[in-house]
Amino acid sequence: MTPWRRFAEGLDNPIVVKEGVSRMRTWRAPVVATLYVALIGAVGFAWLTLGESGSQFSGGRPVAAVVGSQAFAAMAFFQLGLVCLFAPALAAGAISGERERQTLDVLLVSRVSAFGIVWGKLLASMAYILLLILASLPLFSAVFLFGGIDFSQFVFSQVVTISTALCLGAMAVFFSALFQRSLASTVTSYAAAFVLTVGTAILSLIVSTSQTFSRANAGGVANFQAAAEWYFNPFYALYNALFGTQATSTTLRGFLQLLFLGTPSTNNSSAATVDPWFICVIFEAILAIASVIGAVYLVRGRRVSRPRKLEPVDALEAG
Amino acid sequence: MIAVESLHKSYGEMVALEEVTFNVPKGEIFGFVGPNGAGKTTTIRILATLNAADSGEATIGGIPVHEAPAEVRNLIGYMPDFFGVYDRLTSAEYLEFYAACHGVPRRKRAAVARELLELVDLSDRRDTQVDTLSRGMKQRLGLARALVHDPLVLLLDEPASGLDPRARVEMKELIRELRRMGKTILISSHILPELEELCTWVGFIDGGRMAAAGPMAEVRDAVVSGRRLRISLADHSEGELTRAEELLRDHQGVLNVVRMHDHLEVAVSEAVIDDDLLALLVGRKVRVRSFAVIPGDLSEVFLRLTKDEMS
Repeated sequence: MTPWRRFAEGLDNPIVVKEGVSRMRTWRAPVVATLYVALIGAVGFAWLTLGESGSQFSGGRPVAAVVGSQAFAAMAFFQLGLVCLFAPALAAGAISGERERQTLDVLLVSRVSAFGIVWGKLLASMAYILLLILASLPLFSAVFLFGGIDFSQFVFSQVVTISTALCLGAMAVFFSALFQRSLASTVTSYAAAFVLTVGTAILSLIVSTSQTFSRANAGGVANFQAAAEWYFNPFYALYNALFGTQATSTTLRGFLQLLFLGTPSTNNSSAATVDPWFICVIFEAILAIASVIGAVYLVRGRRVSRPRKLEPVDALEAG
Repeated sequence: MIAVESLHKSYGEMVALEEVTFNVPKGEIFGFVGPNGAGKTTTIRILATLNAADSGEATIGGIPVHEAPAEVRNLIGYMPDFFGVYDRLTSAEYLEFYAACHGVPRRKRAAVARELLELVDLSDRRDTQVDTLSRGMKQRLGLARALVHDPLVLLLDEPASGLDPRARVEMKELIRELRRMGKTILISSHILPELEELCTWVGFIDGGRMAAAGPMAEVRDAVVSGRRLRISLADHSEGELTRAEELLRDHQGVLNVVRMHDHLEVAVSEAVIDDDLLALLVGRKVRVRSFAVIPGDLSEVFLRLTKDEMS
């Protein structure tokens, strides 16, 4: 099978269609989408109102660009928070739910591969998240009227949001393949989401503070330098995508030095720089791929697979 | 069509299958009989490519299950003992989904679903959501689901469990119809009289070992040499049935006693004189309402074989 054919078959996955049809038939699907858009809209509206009244209170006129960029950021952060809550919930019952419903065995006896099952489940969960993100796009584009946000900021912020959803969804699918019960996989998926969002932030603060004190005790300059763990945090990545400057960028060498040695890099202007949001997206992509591979391995283990071809005994003896 | 040779399977210390061997020729209905935990489901799961045997070989259509599971999956339709259905899908969508999972081309899926719903007499439930169907309808839909890719072999694990009498008759008719269509069917069940009517071949398994297997008539003739008695009591309370059971078990020549709802079924060797048994019960003040010999059937074969295994 050619890679193109395999890719096309991957997209034409019956599980995606079935999940989509059955999910969209519930009253929950449109209600959640409406609430999602309404909440983001409310946050945006509140920020615009606050920004305007704040400016009036200080006696100056509202600067549209500043208010617009702040409202956009508030909506983007709020959306990322919602995605962190929704993605594990949507994907944590993907495989374990099939087991609980006693439909997994029947699926495993069909021609759908283990990868097809995992990929189909992940794609179906992510399709709904993407629908929510798409539904909220008009709100984000409305903020463009105020200025202050350029197109690249908009695109980067959405990339961070989508990659975070994909990462948390893939991890939830992995946990749903690992655990028998959906409750266990849901709890673990939220724990993983907590570690990725809050855990990395706390760890980064602890490491940074300890390094700052160490440098001060050694008689060096006690300026605060963010630890490498901060680069794995999706909220920091979003902040960087929205308000990143040349100063927050780092070279790949600098990042690795910070990660493994804990020391900030010396400025090397000749090397290509990498934005922290990009490092986070790459990290999330690696986590997502590892989770999918792990889930495929677990699902494949539930049915007999073609054994690996063994080398003939003669060849082994000759070797 | 199905060949199982010296199959062995253990779960840790527990031996689930030991030297299980049987064959099912093409176009036959094979009744796989055994008590709970005998190894029926384990054997069927191995044939369905869901479990791997520790040793031995199983082939379907000449294809080794362990070496070419994907090819075997194209040949088999599997209906597990317990299976769920998806919420918020209609019967037609349910079948079309599994047709897609089995690689049926998109343009043919609707026709396949329509024909199968007709076969299992659920055409009028085409647009009904599957989770609202009755147990019997779900079982028939499950059987239709196992047929979406037109397999040569059907592996049916307790397809009639939990069904009411009418649904059982319908299921039995359906299985006969599938045999007429040329399918080879392996069916496990506890309902022995129904299997007897339905099956052409039979295999008995107990404690993970095959006790007997072969054409139904041959197995029955080879095993049944004794007789079975049906004893009804005037007072069929729990205590009275237990007392009668204990009396009969202690009598020499009694092979097994099975307590039914309101009577006892007693397997005895040819040497036992019926009058002695009756006199024993009456002498101990057990009020016997009826005492009759049951004509030889599959239940009797089953009782004999499982008794032999236990002894």
